[in-house]
Amino acid sequence: MSYGDKVEIRNLNIWFGDKHVINGLDLKIKANSVTAIMGPSGCGKSTLLRALNRMNDVIKSSRTTGDVFIGGKNIYENGTNVYDLRRQVGMVFQKPNPLPKSIYENIAFGPKIHKIAKGKALDKIVEKSLRAAALWDEVNDRLGDSAFDLSGGQQQRLCIARALAVDPEIILMDEPCSALDPAATAKIEQLIRILSTDYTVVIVTHNMQQASRVSDHTVFLYLGDIIEQGDTKSIFENPKHELTEQYITGEFG
Amino acid sequence: MSSKKLNKISSFFLNLKSQPMEIVLFVSASLSIIILFLMLFFVAREGALAFSRFGSDLLFGMQWNLESDLFGGFPLLYGSLMVTFGALLIAIPVGVCTAIFVSEVLPFYLRDPIKSIIELLASIPSVIYGFIGLLIVVPFISSFFGLVSGQTALTASLILSLMTIPTIVSVSGEIISAVPKTYKEAALGLGATKWETIKTVVLPISKSGILASIMLGFGRAIGETIAVSMIAGNQAHTPSSYLEAVYTIPSFIATHMGEAAVGSLEYSALFGLGLILLIITFMVNTLADTVVKRGAQHG
Amino acid sequence: MGSQTKERIFFFALGVPVVICLLAFFWIAATLFTGVGTLNMEFLTTSALQGGAFEMIVGTIYLFLGAAAIAGPIGVFAAIYLVEYAPHGKITRIIDQAINNLAGVPSIIIGLFGYTLFSRQLGFGISLMAGWLTLALMILPIVIRGSEEAIRIVPQSFKQAALALGATKWKSISLTTLIAAAPGIVTSVILGIARVAGETAAILFTSCVIITRGLPSSPLEPVMALSFNMYVQIVARGAPPESVFGMALILFFIVVIFSLVAIILRVYYRKKQPWLH
Repeated sequence: MSYGDKVEIRNLNIWFGDKHVINGLDLKIKANSVTAIMGPSGCGKSTLLRALNRMNDVIKSSRTTGDVFIGGKNIYENGTNVYDLRRQVGMVFQKPNPLPKSIYENIAFGPKIHKIAKGKALDKIVEKSLRAAALWDEVNDRLGDSAFDLSGGQQQRLCIARALAVDPEIILMDEPCSALDPAATAKIEQLIRILSTDYTVVIVTHNMQQASRVSDHTVFLYLGDIIEQGDTKSIFENPKHELTEQYITGEFG
Repeated sequence: MSSKKLNKISSFFLNLKSQPMEIVLFVSASLSIIILFLMLFFVAREGALAFSRFGSDLLFGMQWNLESDLFGGFPLLYGSLMVTFGALLIAIPVGVCTAIFVSEVLPFYLRDPIKSIIELLASIPSVIYGFIGLLIVVPFISSFFGLVSGQTALTASLILSLMTIPTIVSVSGEIISAVPKTYKEAALGLGATKWETIKTVVLPISKSGILASIMLGFGRAIGETIAVSMIAGNQAHTPSSYLEAVYTIPSFIATHMGEAAVGSLEYSALFGLGLILLIITFMVNTLADTVVKRGAQHG
Repeated sequence: MGSQTKERIFFFALGVPVVICLLAFFWIAATLFTGVGTLNMEFLTTSALQGGAFEMIVGTIYLFLGAAAIAGPIGVFAAIYLVEYAPHGKITRIIDQAINNLAGVPSIIIGLFGYTLFSRQLGFGISLMAGWLTLALMILPIVIRGSEEAIRIVPQSFKQAALALGATKWKSISLTTLIAAAPGIVTSVILGIARVAGETAAILFTSCVIITRGLPSSPLEPVMALSFNMYVQIVARGAPPESVFGMALILFFIVVIFSLVAIILRVYYRKKQPWLH
């Protein structure tokens, strides 16, 4: 268990080609909490999220300056092992993206490429991850089935289990419920609350009710700048900034 | 070269070094270019002797005579053009009509099976086409026209057309299928019949693609060696009718290379003909690519 | 005349050439089948020295297997580069055009090139090795184009998932995209084999002789092949076509079987890939 700030972002700037998407942003994220990043479409929420596991690097036109400290270490420093970073900071995508393999192989994928375990130890990790993602009871008798045989909500929990299998410290979620029905969404929101005991969760969401249900802290992002941030309850009940209030009351978004 | 371009190129190669696998992949991809250059180089090298001796007469000289060391390939060029033209005369209408029919008229469930059969037609080796030609077409031509031998330019054109049709059908078919549905729906919505839609909407859009398929068919036909050398009669002259025997450039090379002494003038002349054929093929293929690209821009 | 009737006539006229094409294939197949009588196990397994076709069949198989083993990996690597690594723009377009041009080179020129480079310059002489390398040149464009297509349609999400778990770019492609594209890639290799199994001009000067003593014991020895024997017997020795009926039929079988397998694979895997829906 760690206390205090897990993530500290200092003067983060991100460009895609000539478009300045994140403008000199500063942010601190507390350990073992759920932080929601919300804002209207195109304000840079996903980009900010992806800066935390350097997935923006994959996009050729992207350029990032500034510092992001995770557990005290600057992940944008020269010589950072990006592959280990991505093990440490897991990601769940908007649309569930199971790999074209069996349920077991999906979970085992991460541990295998990082050479974390094999054989019986690997089996244990798979079971542990599936339990942590509240999926074990539903799939333990068909681990060899294709991941595509699962429903949308189950696939997303599979993706969460897959991210958990490499023992991350932080879990990033990019609108994880937007492709799911309300029942599946509820299950995942419940899961997120439980996960925050052991992990630091950062979730991007469009859905304000979801943010208020699920998160401890909320960050309101607008056109690449943080307009307001604070603990969720006070942001929703007492927004200090006019834009925040307008967004919350649905005047735009 | 501007410094910006130099920067781009040098950063491209610097980025390559970061991952060893990427180098392997890049080399594999560049192999095609390397092979083409090597091909041009080696064929030209072997043909250099003949070109220095004969120049353009290698292609336009009228006589190919081993004893008198005279190597002029005009009859071969003539034969090639005759046979190719004859083949295209049949292959173009049949091929284009088939492409239209399969892509637009045929009900959905029949399209894939029929396309598969045409694919199978394309995969038959040319030596078997030659075999069939010899077995059936040659005797037929000989008896139908009352000739001593049925091995004629006509025979070659007939078999060659069968071999060229699949090329035209597959390329044209792809182009025609790629016409956006919205255009067709617009025409049909205005009350046009299916045929009118094809005539006034689909075909004009597909024009350049169909043209490209014909060029590719031409390239295929002019380069065909084996079947032609089995059924065209193999006589190097400039015939006045299709009922006489001919040689084409590739069939001539195939039948004479075996006896040509390595390094001899004849050997070099054959390579020279090969170089000419190679260049013709490159030009046709590149032209076809350009036509498709230009068509895509306007369409 | 009503426009509907006009249309019917046009479609009928269009359909005639199609029927010609279909009939042509069946006619060829039927003609070949009339020679089925010449085929029996003896013919297939007896050495050519005793009038059988054994070495020719094995030689043909050796040739296309070796060529596929060379062109397959190179072609797949090239395709991966073009789809996943190449910067969009000039380099890709030049390579694409080179591949199209390579595909369009007449097989006799491939044969001349193979003879000059592999047989003479590199000293392989008339051998299996020279044949492999020469035929590989013909399979390469087919594998590249087919693999490119197969790789292109694999959803990016697989690669993204692997990257987000900390895999390197190559690992995320080879462990997800490549595996998903495998059926399409295998199909393209089979199509490449179908293309060269019956190839004559490319092996005319690079790898074949009319008769050998048994099978080659090393890749540096020449080999017999069905297409070569058929061709040389007819053109160089003036034999009547009937005499090579057996060889023609076997060759036809080999090529049609490989082509059919490729077609069936394509149809079967199109249905089996759930992420395409």
